[in-house]
Amino acid sequence: MLSINRWVALGLLAFSSGYGYLAFTYRILPFERFLAMKPNTLPIGLAVAGMICSIALLLMPEGQDSASGEEKTVLGSDHKYLESPGDYEWGKGVALLVLAVVYALSLRQAGFLLSTSMFLIIGGVMLGERKYWILVPVSCFASFLVWYLVDEVLTIFMRPLPMIFYQ
Amino acid sequence: MWDQMLLGIQTAFTLQNMLFAGLGCFIGTIIGMLPGLGPMSVVAIMIPVSIQIGDPSTTLILLAGVYYGAIFGGSTSSILINAPGEAAVVATSFDGYPMARKGQAGKALTIAAISSFSGGTIGAIFLMGFAPALASFAILFWSAEYFALMLVGLSAVAAFAGKGKVLKALMMTLLGLMLSTVGESSLFNAPRFTLGLLDLQSGIHFVTLAMGLFAVPEAFFLALDVLRGKKGGSQEAREISNLRINLKEAKTIAPVIGRQSIQGFLIGVMPGAGATIASFLGYAVERNLAKPEERKEFGQGSIKGLSAPETANNAASTGSFVPLLTLGIPGSGTTAILLGALIALNLQPGPLLMQDRPEVFWSVIFSMYFGNIILLILNLPLVPYIARLLAIPRTYLIPFVLFFAMAGAYIGQNNATELLLLIGFGVFAIIMRFADYPLPPLLIGFVLGQLFEDNFGRAIRNANGIQFLWERPMTLALVIATLAFVLVPLYRDWRSRRKRPSLG
Repeated sequence: MLSINRWVALGLLAFSSGYGYLAFTYRILPFERFLAMKPNTLPIGLAVAGMICSIALLLMPEGQDSASGEEKTVLGSDHKYLESPGDYEWGKGVALLVLAVVYALSLRQAGFLLSTSMFLIIGGVMLGERKYWILVPVSCFASFLVWYLVDEVLTIFMRPLPMIFYQ
Repeated sequence: MWDQMLLGIQTAFTLQNMLFAGLGCFIGTIIGMLPGLGPMSVVAIMIPVSIQIGDPSTTLILLAGVYYGAIFGGSTSSILINAPGEAAVVATSFDGYPMARKGQAGKALTIAAISSFSGGTIGAIFLMGFAPALASFAILFWSAEYFALMLVGLSAVAAFAGKGKVLKALMMTLLGLMLSTVGESSLFNAPRFTLGLLDLQSGIHFVTLAMGLFAVPEAFFLALDVLRGKKGGSQEAREISNLRINLKEAKTIAPVIGRQSIQGFLIGVMPGAGATIASFLGYAVERNLAKPEERKEFGQGSIKGLSAPETANNAASTGSFVPLLTLGIPGSGTTAILLGALIALNLQPGPLLMQDRPEVFWSVIFSMYFGNIILLILNLPLVPYIARLLAIPRTYLIPFVLFFAMAGAYIGQNNATELLLLIGFGVFAIIMRFADYPLPPLLIGFVLGQLFEDNFGRAIRNANGIQFLWERPMTLALVIATLAFVLVPLYRDWRSRRKRPSLG
């Protein structure tokens, strides 16, 4: 089983290669062919450098990088979460990210006020908040305040209500 | 020139302009504190409002105040919740956040306030005294030198990547440069690497990337680890007495403030460099200058490590006004937005601005003194209240951090795809943090990427090849500095590995 470091290095190698492929096959316009600097000149260089770097990282002996010894700072190494996964609440972390995706997708249909309030309420409940009589008004007020400041005070348009009200 | 300066003083110290400077600092601090909004977006958001004022001096004074305030506000969120809203305050979180987690949030905020004030004020003195001379120095730089300067900036990431992380930092810088090539560019006709997605046509937005890389993982790890959220939090809010710094600490940071004010200012003057490089370089330089026992504290809550980037980014913000006001070249992303505001007000920024509109030129400079005093007297008394942010229960804090991060990317764009991209970057950043990859180099590469390619392209076209790298003395010197930045730490890493074969 490959370690996380190897997987990441492999992923970076794949990304650099893919980027390099796109750069190499980039369709250059006829008049750009004679330019000293073409649209893909720098990207090709970056892709090659990226591939060299990721191969070096892939081949680097395990345990000789920062994850070991003195470089573990107070917050520096988040590798600890993988070392003892049972100690942490992975479900809540992942659920929060899923909620963020749902929030992003709902903004258009549900409007800013409803989707933001729901995001803050569900997020709070998910993380263990049970004082609904505080959570619900705080979330609704915060959504309204942000909308008011952005839309009314700063005059940057942000649709407050669900799409249904605009049809 | 004295007449012009006097005119500037008269304009800057009218009641209206002083009020606007104070208002700008206040708004900037409050909005800049929100993790999703960095100085660039705060200033951008304020532009439609400030242009309504009509008077160019007042508008610029207000926006400059917002800029300063937002930088300080950004460093506050960096310190308290490790969610920097802008690259310039990323280095602040290296030592500021560990201090907050050790229960010294109050002290960290005080040091940040004093360092910001000193950096900004000393920067303003330099700006006034050396603006014309420095402008004539900056004008010597051609595309070739700009390009070489970017190389130095990018390779400096190797200097602040920890031992053993040099290769990882270089990889992240390259990744940042690659991401910066997505979308339209000023040099070429068609957008690149958009994979056919219309939303990528204008490239990846800085705020989206920054929030994805820093705020999303923070929210994730806070949710994952119950103790992480609690450490320092409620306990710190009670420790308001801990705000003061003692004489020994003041003596420790005094030389750092002196050095970083000068270095930060000079870096800020260089177009394209700006507060971000100044803060990272300031951090790296101070770490290298520190005694071995002090060096161990860097990254763990060192007051020098906090003071250096805070002083440097404020001095550089002031310095970045030099090319903006005297050459019309923005020294940073934020000053680029200010340039847009100047043009919208029918002002032609450039060498003639000092002659044609001296009251605008000098009043902005003089308002900086006032703005910095406002920041200090506004922020120091507010520190206890700001520190209470840590006492917010995690059930509120985590969704709000995530919400502000997403709101920062959503405001002004009204585009849900931007948010999906932000979460995608967040997931990527979480994986990278598991593997101990440093993320700031990616952001630096991304920020400088566009300028890097523009100047590289112009230099190549001017010289019809890459011989400019060794034919122009100043470029050559900068290229050699770049090689030293990359090769010395790599060699040091390689040598230390050979000495510790047992670890292999």
